[in-house]
Amino acid sequence: MEEESGEELGLDRSTPKDFHFYHMDLYDSEDRLHLFPEENTRMRKVVQAEMANESRGAGDGKAQRDLQEEVDELVHLYGLEDDHELGDEFVDENIPRTGVSEYPPYMMKRRDPAREQRDWRLSGEAAEAEDLGFGGWGSAGQCQDLREAYRYTHGRASEEYECYVIPEEEDEEEAADVFCVTCKTPIRAFQKVFDEHKEHEVIPLNEALESAKDEIHKNMYKLEKQIIEMENFANHLEEVFITVEDAVAMADRLGKFLKTKTDVEISAQPEFEDQTLDFSDVEQLMGSINTIPAPSAPVINPQVPNSATGSSVRVCWSLYSDDTVESYQLSYRPVQDSSPGTDQAEFTVTVKETYCSVTNLVPNTQYEFWVTAHNRAGPSPSSERAVYMTAPSPPIIKTKEIRSCEEAVLICWESGNLNPVDSYTVELTQAESPEASGVTESVVGIPTCESVVQLQPGRSYIIYVRALNMGGPSVRSEPATVHTIGSYFRLNKDTCHPWLTISEDGLTAVRSERRTPARELSPSDTHFTRCVAVMGNLIPVRGHHYWEVEVDEHLDYRVGVAFADVRKQEDLGANCLSWCMRHTFASSRHKYEFLHNRTTPDIRITVPPKKIGILLDYEHSKLSFFNVDLSQHLYTFSCQLHEFVHPCFSLEKPGCLKVHNGISMPKHVTFY
Amino acid sequence: MKFAVYLPPKAETGKCPALYWLSGLTCTEQNFISKSGYHQSASEHGLVVIAPDTSPRGCNIKGEDESWDFGTGAGFYVDATEDPWKTNYRMYSYVTEELPQLINANFPVDPQRMSIFGHSMGGHGALICALKNPGKYKSVSAFAPICNPVLCPWGKKAFSGYLGTDQSKWKAYDATHLVKSYPGSQLDILIDQGKDDQFLLDGQLLPDNFIAACTEKKIPVVFRLQEGYDHSYYFIATFITDHIRHHAKYLNA
Repeated sequence: MEEESGEELGLDRSTPKDFHFYHMDLYDSEDRLHLFPEENTRMRKVVQAEMANESRGAGDGKAQRDLQEEVDELVHLYGLEDDHELGDEFVDENIPRTGVSEYPPYMMKRRDPAREQRDWRLSGEAAEAEDLGFGGWGSAGQCQDLREAYRYTHGRASEEYECYVIPEEEDEEEAADVFCVTCKTPIRAFQKVFDEHKEHEVIPLNEALESAKDEIHKNMYKLEKQIIEMENFANHLEEVFITVEDAVAMADRLGKFLKTKTDVEISAQPEFEDQTLDFSDVEQLMGSINTIPAPSAPVINPQVPNSATGSSVRVCWSLYSDDTVESYQLSYRPVQDSSPGTDQAEFTVTVKETYCSVTNLVPNTQYEFWVTAHNRAGPSPSSERAVYMTAPSPPIIKTKEIRSCEEAVLICWESGNLNPVDSYTVELTQAESPEASGVTESVVGIPTCESVVQLQPGRSYIIYVRALNMGGPSVRSEPATVHTIGSYFRLNKDTCHPWLTISEDGLTAVRSERRTPARELSPSDTHFTRCVAVMGNLIPVRGHHYWEVEVDEHLDYRVGVAFADVRKQEDLGANCLSWCMRHTFASSRHKYEFLHNRTTPDIRITVPPKKIGILLDYEHSKLSFFNVDLSQHLYTFSCQLHEFVHPCFSLEKPGCLKVHNGISMPKHVTFY
Repeated sequence: MKFAVYLPPKAETGKCPALYWLSGLTCTEQNFISKSGYHQSASEHGLVVIAPDTSPRGCNIKGEDESWDFGTGAGFYVDATEDPWKTNYRMYSYVTEELPQLINANFPVDPQRMSIFGHSMGGHGALICALKNPGKYKSVSAFAPICNPVLCPWGKKAFSGYLGTDQSKWKAYDATHLVKSYPGSQLDILIDQGKDDQFLLDGQLLPDNFIAACTEKKIPVVFRLQEGYDHSYYFIATFITDHIRHHAKYLNA
């Protein structure tokens, strides 16, 4: 649309002020309809403007052309030879606008030219609707002009037109001052008296004038309504036609058709009231070219987070057009990994909705999905491929390796999935009241297969673990129970001297009799090679820990703690990285030593302990030993514990010792 | 008889357990309270500490001031049976009956909770009081005690003076002997002994005998031979906290 052209042309005296012209590029020159013989360009431009106008152009242009044609006809009919005169009437800016109208479509209210032009430029505005889309006609000035036009006729009444033709006054000396309704002609008053008009009804001329005006207005209104109908028809055409070429071809055919029809109407003295444009032929024509094409490609949605289960995903897609769709075909296959191998099988599901829950999938696996829409005409192009992922399988808690103390627990688990997952979540609830649903604490975003969780002392907890990937979380693992009473640990088989056997529950160490002399063991960083010892896996949490060891009276043993990196080729207590209580029984005498860095105080203990209580106090840097049965304090080391230590146990002769866990610190121990 | 009493802050609001300290040869009731450094620990555990004198004074008994290890300042915590000592020198009864009655009547102490400890001769006294009165004392401990007086010079001198020549009467006041026939409830005995204690080397103390006896009778003892320490109050002051804790464990149980 070229708004400027309207303004430019508006300055041209040959064009009406209220016409707005636009260049058109849809029509070839020979197709252009010639309405005003000498002003082809002008009307052509109007028509062009209409065509270029998004929704109403075609109809408007045609409507305008229709009306123009009718006016043309009228002009010719009534002997208006000088079209130019007519044009002058339209263009004369000085024609006062009377602005009186009861019919809203006429928009008789005053408007300045500039605003009219502006409104005209706005496509699809209400102004246009009221304006009939061809501004000029709606203005007061135009109606005035028409009346002027009618005045040119010479008092010829025409019942066919059902309008009052008001003749221009030719007799200067005696103007008509009354109107004979019967004859439908203005007469002088005195004529009423004469026989011709004697019995006729006579009304004052100005009244007649008003009536005639009204008639014209009514007819104009009807014409407008029909024009609106045409517009709607044109809108419908627009919706049906997909390509401009189709529109052109159709418009072309339609134009020819309408032209023919219109000619017929006008020459037949049209009855405006009953006149309806018959579109049935046109519709038939349209039906023949109205075929539904295949749909456009759907758009597959990305996976909604946390929407997958271990074996299913919910795939959604959308269709961003008004295409008719009868069904969708969703295809998928597991995402190929880089290794060349067997081609993965492809699956397809047909659904009517724009979503589908796909089941029987493998956990923690990525699948690519794509979807096509189908109708009678065929399939759409395929959508983009979207990758959806199933949630992982649940992890498996290593219950035997749980370590805890009164303030925390260290849990570790197996992933439960072959491929990596994004993270793990630990969930814990207190097990006090099983029926009441307590608060579930969650620790999220755990990157590895272990976690230290803070807990309250003296409680029982139930712990679950979930694995998480982009598809969502797995279901909960099997639960594990943790009691925050005392400290729990197991003997670490990895550190065990080869001559020691650790029980299944990780709490008993046995040294059996050896018949054959042992050969020298090669040094190791992980297990003891000299001292027949084993270490326990204490939770790496500070605070205090208490455990007990059950020993035989005659057993030679060492019990205590050591740093994880204590030299395994040395005896416990022989270096500065370990502390232990050592008992040796020889010659019916019990000997007790409290060894660290090879030194021991001189201590005599008269009653050999059978159960030794060991208190490790990080806070006070102390390691204490007790005779549990007697509640007797035996000895306390002051030790600098800059790192975490582990309990350690050594059997210097065949025998066994048993570790007791999960014991709340006895009161007598609390004094130390 | 003079005695010293320490009242902890806790005694202001209620009755506290009583811990009796028996001093060694030549000491008065003052030595312990001024030199041992017990205050902080006693305060922390809320124990009333009572320290009696080591013998009656100014009795005008002939020979009472002749030697430092017999007579004045050397009561040996026995009830003398021989003249001229038997009227005044009744330290055993004083410590086990007279003094507690006096303390219970006049100080905020719990009569049911009582423990005893001492040094050297007082260690001997503590051990025999506990062994002769099973259940009376919740706990007992000693610093460098005279464990077997019957066999050491000090003991022989004192017992013959106070008890006469009948050695059967002596055994009644000998810890090692008393242990052998101790029938009573479990005692938990803590003994600290300075390794460089001259008297240990002189055979005055004889802890091994006591330990052996306890081992045999399964009386729980933890005996600590402390490297580099002598018989003095510096030694006591170093380990007094351990002993008070030891008693507090039982008195505050």
